[in-house]
Amino acid sequence: MMNLSPMIRLRVWLRLFLLQGSWNFERLQGLGFFFALYPALQKLYRDEQLQQVCREHAGYFNTHPFLAPSVAGAVLELEQRRSRNEEQTVNIQDFKEMVAAPYAAVGDAMFWGGLRPLTAGIAILFAVKGIILAPLIFLLLFNLLPFWFRIFGFMYGYRNGLRSLEFLQQHRLPDWAIRIKETAVVLLGGVSAFLVFQQLQAEQIPKGLGFLAIPLVLVLALFARRGISTLLLVLLTTAVIICLSLFGFEPTTWL
Amino acid sequence: MLVVDLFLGALVALVCGLDRVAVLQIMISRPIVAAPLAGWLLGDIEVGLQVGLMIELLWLARLPVGAAVPPDDTQVAIAGTVLAVALGKLLGLEGIEFILLCLLVAIPFGKFGQFFDRFARTRNRRTMERAEAALDSGNLSAAELYHLSGIAKFALAALGTYGVIVGGGIVLVPALAPVLLSGLEHSAEWIRLALPVVGIAVVVGTINVNRSLTLFSASFGMAFLLMWLV
Repeated sequence: MMNLSPMIRLRVWLRLFLLQGSWNFERLQGLGFFFALYPALQKLYRDEQLQQVCREHAGYFNTHPFLAPSVAGAVLELEQRRSRNEEQTVNIQDFKEMVAAPYAAVGDAMFWGGLRPLTAGIAILFAVKGIILAPLIFLLLFNLLPFWFRIFGFMYGYRNGLRSLEFLQQHRLPDWAIRIKETAVVLLGGVSAFLVFQQLQAEQIPKGLGFLAIPLVLVLALFARRGISTLLLVLLTTAVIICLSLFGFEPTTWL
Repeated sequence: MLVVDLFLGALVALVCGLDRVAVLQIMISRPIVAAPLAGWLLGDIEVGLQVGLMIELLWLARLPVGAAVPPDDTQVAIAGTVLAVALGKLLGLEGIEFILLCLLVAIPFGKFGQFFDRFARTRNRRTMERAEAALDSGNLSAAELYHLSGIAKFALAALGTYGVIVGGGIVLVPALAPVLLSGLEHSAEWIRLALPVVGIAVVVGTINVNRSLTLFSASFGMAFLLMWLV
C-alpha cells in the first residue's frame, strides 16, 4: 500500500475543524475522529477491514481540538503501517488512549487557561481606546499558536508516528502552559490598572485611591476561588454600585 | 427595522455559536469578536465593541474542559448588542446606560445557553448510536452524514439561546427602562469598569498558577504607579 497523498492528508486535516460536530457525553469526539480520518481509511482499507477500522475509530476519544491534528497525523502513519501488515509495537487504540489525555490536559492549560486570557487582555486594551480593530487583533494574536500546532503538529505526527509522543517532552509544553498563564496574570494586572486609572482620570478623583482596587479585586478573586459564581458576583457588584449612587454616594463630591 | 435587525443578529448567533464547540474554533465566538461583528452588521460597531469589552472577561475562567459547559457568553454578547442597537432605535434610547441595561438583562439569560448546549450534546447521543448502527451495517457514508447532523443540533442550540435572550430582552428592557435608567445614570461608568474587573478577579482567583494573587497585585501596583507618575 502506498503512502497517503498530500491531498488525502489535506482532506483529513480540514475535516479536523469539524472534530467536535457530534460531541456527546458518551463518546465525546469519537465520531468526529472517525469522520476526520475516513478519507484516509478509505484509501488504506477495503470492505470488511475498512468497516472494522472505522468502527474502532468511532469509539471514545477526547483530546484538545488544537492538538487533535497531532494525534490524527500520528494515527495516519500507524494506520499506513498496519495496512502494509508491518509489525506494530503498540496497538493504535492504545496509542490514542495514551496521548489523548495528556494532550487534552496540556492543551486546556495552554490554550484555554493561558493564551485566551492573555490575548483577550491585550485586545481589551485596544478596545478601551476605541480601536475598532481590537477584534481582529485578538483573532490574529490568539490563532497564531493554535494554527502552528494544528498545521505542524499534524505534519510532525504523520512524519514521526509513534515517536511523536516525544513532542510533549521535547518542547516542554506543560512548562510553556504555566509560563503563558503567569504572563496572562501579569498582563491582567496591567489591564486592571489601566482601566482603573482611566476611570479615576475621567472622574477627576485623586489617583492614589486607585490602589484600593487591589484589595477589592483580591476579595472578589477569593470569593471566586470559594466557588461563588461569576453571575452572582456581577449582580452583587452592580447592585452595590447602583445602591451607592441612588443613596447619593458621589465619589467626586465625597473626596 | 426590528425584524431585520433580529434576523441579522440570528445569523451572527448561528455562525459564532457554531464556532464555540462544533466548527472551526477560531474564536470568532469570543464576545470581543462576536459583539462588534453583530454591531457592525446592525450599523453600530461602537456599541458592539462596548458590549464585547464588558462581557469578554466575565466567564473566561470557565474553561470548556471535557464535559464542562460554561454559560453562553457568545449569545449574551450578540443578543446584548442586538437589544442595545435594535431596541435603542425603536425606543429612541442610547448611551452607556441603555447598553448596560440591555446587558444586565441579557447576562442572567446566559445560563439558558448551558441548558441548550447540554440538550444538543445529549441529543447527539442518539446521533452517535445511529452512526454506530450505520457503521455496523457497513453504511459508512451514512455514519459521516450522522456526524454532520450533529452540527445542526449545535446550530439549533445557538439559535435557541439567542432567541431566549432576545425574547426576554424585548419583554424586560422596555419595562425596566423607565425604572432603572435613572438609577444607572450616575453609576453607569462605574459598572462599565466593574464588569471587566470582576471578570479579571475571577480569572486571577481560579487560574491554576502559584502566587497568582501576588503576581496580580505586583503587576497592578507597578503599572498603576507608572501611569500615575510618568
